Amino acid sequence: MADSAQNQGVQTTGHVWDETLQEWNNPLPVWWTYSFYATIVFALVYWTFYPSWPFGKSFLPGMAQITYTNAQGQEESWHWNTRAKLLKETQEANAQQMPYYAKLMQTPFEQIGKDPELSSFVVSAGKVAFSDNCAACHQAGGAGKVGLFPNLADDDWIYGGSHEKIQETLVKGRRGYMPPFAEALDAAQIDALANYVLSLSGGQADAAKVATGKELFHSQTAACYYCHGDNAKGRQDVGAANLTDKVWLWADVPGAADAEGKLAAVKKVISGGMAKGVMPAWEGRLSPEQIKLLTVYVHELGGGK
Amino acid sequence: MAANSPAAAEQYNFDIVKKFLVMAIVWAVVGMLVGVYIASELAWPFLNFDSPYISFGRFRPVHTGAVIFGFGGSALFATSYYVVQRTCQTRLFAPGLATFTFWGWQAIIVLAALSYVTGYSQGREYAEMEWPIDILIEIVWIAYMAVYIGTLMMRKQPHIYVANWFYLSFILATALLHTFNNIAIPVSLFTLKSYSLFSGPQDAMTQWWYGHNAVGFFLTAAFLGMMYYFVPKHAGRPVYSYRLSIVHFWALSFMYMWVGTHHLHWTALPDWASTLGAAFSIMLLLPSWGGMINGIMTLSGAWDKLRTDPIMRFMILALSFYGMSTFEGPMMSLKDVNALSHYTDWTVGHVHSGALGWVAMISFGAMYHMIPKLWNTPMYSVKLINMHFWLATIGVLLYITAMWISGISQGLMWRAFDDFGNLQYSFVESVAAMHPFYAMRAIGGMFYLTGMVLMAYNCYMTIRQGVRAADTAGQTAPAAA
Repeated sequence: MADSAQNQGVQTTGHVWDETLQEWNNPLPVWWTYSFYATIVFALVYWTFYPSWPFGKSFLPGMAQITYTNAQGQEESWHWNTRAKLLKETQEANAQQMPYYAKLMQTPFEQIGKDPELSSFVVSAGKVAFSDNCAACHQAGGAGKVGLFPNLADDDWIYGGSHEKIQETLVKGRRGYMPPFAEALDAAQIDALANYVLSLSGGQADAAKVATGKELFHSQTAACYYCHGDNAKGRQDVGAANLTDKVWLWADVPGAADAEGKLAAVKKVISGGMAKGVMPAWEGRLSPEQIKLLTVYVHELGGGK
Repeated sequence: MAANSPAAAEQYNFDIVKKFLVMAIVWAVVGMLVGVYIASELAWPFLNFDSPYISFGRFRPVHTGAVIFGFGGSALFATSYYVVQRTCQTRLFAPGLATFTFWGWQAIIVLAALSYVTGYSQGREYAEMEWPIDILIEIVWIAYMAVYIGTLMMRKQPHIYVANWFYLSFILATALLHTFNNIAIPVSLFTLKSYSLFSGPQDAMTQWWYGHNAVGFFLTAAFLGMMYYFVPKHAGRPVYSYRLSIVHFWALSFMYMWVGTHHLHWTALPDWASTLGAAFSIMLLLPSWGGMINGIMTLSGAWDKLRTDPIMRFMILALSFYGMSTFEGPMMSLKDVNALSHYTDWTVGHVHSGALGWVAMISFGAMYHMIPKLWNTPMYSVKLINMHFWLATIGVLLYITAMWISGISQGLMWRAFDDFGNLQYSFVESVAAMHPFYAMRAIGGMFYLTGMVLMAYNCYMTIRQGVRAADTAGQTAPAAA
């Protein structure tokens, strides 16, 4: 080894610790010294480029410049700083998106699907906007979660699946509510109603109880028809669910193992009611452009009407 | 050769060294076990079992506390007490105080872990302990400083050996850092909650001045001290360059204090402060490498021992990882590189290449070197040391490779735009993309932990055999090994 040869001509410092510990008197490795100087030169260059040493209430601004367009539309130049850099980069990205958002805002809903370029933009921008803002509740791809959040990927709409209704849902938010019937009705009545509700979508039910339930459904005692409609197909103007399809949101009927479980799930909703169906209002949190984007995106996602 | 003369055991206070050494092994097993668990929680979230006590947020400081302060701290206490006595040729100053540092330090680790699990944290990284524990740390640390400086002053050698400079700078710097980072006003006397004296960017900057110097002085300077004793001692060769050790010691001590702000690039921190941090980080590269050069050049000429001596292998690998991570660090501190790496797993990988590769490996080398001398018996199994070496090496490599891939992919995914100027990926897509690498990281950790368990077993058997031999030979004359 080169260093061993080097060591042969080198003395130790003459000190010995702990019986055997010594130190060679080797000089600093030349490459180490020059590399160290090089890093110092690098630092000096870095300091002249970026803002660096503070003095008094100010600091060396550095030679690098950032130019961007301010809110008044005028060009402004600053010494390099992260705020200006953020503004500049945000503006550049916005400028690239702007023509598409402008076109989106000008195009009526039903025309958007006919423009392939605009459609691809909606899919691309909508995917990220949906994942970042909506998917936390409605899940990836809008699959929803029974008992918590509606599925947006089917064609069953609680408040309406037209572009206008979806936009209204996004802008104003929604507050789903069903009163509890535990005190208004007795156990037998709730049991009968649950059998009837299950029978509506072809579920297994006791025929006698179904008849009683049907009567109750349309009576003033339970008055279910008032929200869910005479035909039990729901009323989108009040957000009352269609009970005749197999789509369940609050009663976890699909998840129940047997007929008894399905009945219990429905009875739980009838007796306890439901007051957690809150969709927040996004007006002010998202821009009108983003809301229109998401309206179209969700409409496409779920076979909108 | 492995055994000391019986006189050495009388000459020095080895009891305190043994205590800290055993606890270093215990905390290493505990800390790494918790580390593997939280890594697994990230890969397989059901492991949270919906219990707040074992959730990632609470277990993470338990892991860092146990490995840095429990394992690293105890290893430093053990080696510094060992080294300072041997190189000063004197017994420890104030042995009662030294015993107090042992019980005090262990109490701190246990109390801190209990407080994290029950939800108490200052929310300052690596300084999560609430104020009563901070006060205890202050007291124990001052006692440590008194023992150490007292011993240096009693030295029978005219010169202070280089390892001691590094230990001393670590003790002084840690005292400063701990004090200023934890200046806080408790809400009341009977609450654990307190508020920092600093606010906003000043608070963040104080925290990272502490945080990076915990890396710089606790995890670097101190372990360089360990390296400067155990590498030349074990290789039986003089330190390569006395001059290099002086120059890089002072350069390292001076530069490190400036670089904490590189943790706060692209934040509310003033830009000039982040520039200074980046530039000093670059200037820190060669001073850091000074230690690596001195270590590797000291070992060169003893390369043949690498084939036969696994302890030597631990040392050379530690120095290599030290060189690699002290190169990686300055690169990551440049503003533009940091724009990619900040908030990604790359940082986590970088820390672990330093912690698992450098800090732990050099400690393993030092501990395997000391144990036969402390208990006057050869290691129970050299084969197990070899297995430990390979498991640890595979573990680190799996860990850092996983984190490099996942960190760089995260950084690239977060900044990717498509042709429309839209972000190409949502955040959650980047999380999903991390999954295989999180699994790989957990598996790397399991390798490393398995090696550590082998070490614990090997050391337990060695100590048992040493104690038995001492018992049969009587108290005064331990059998020569």
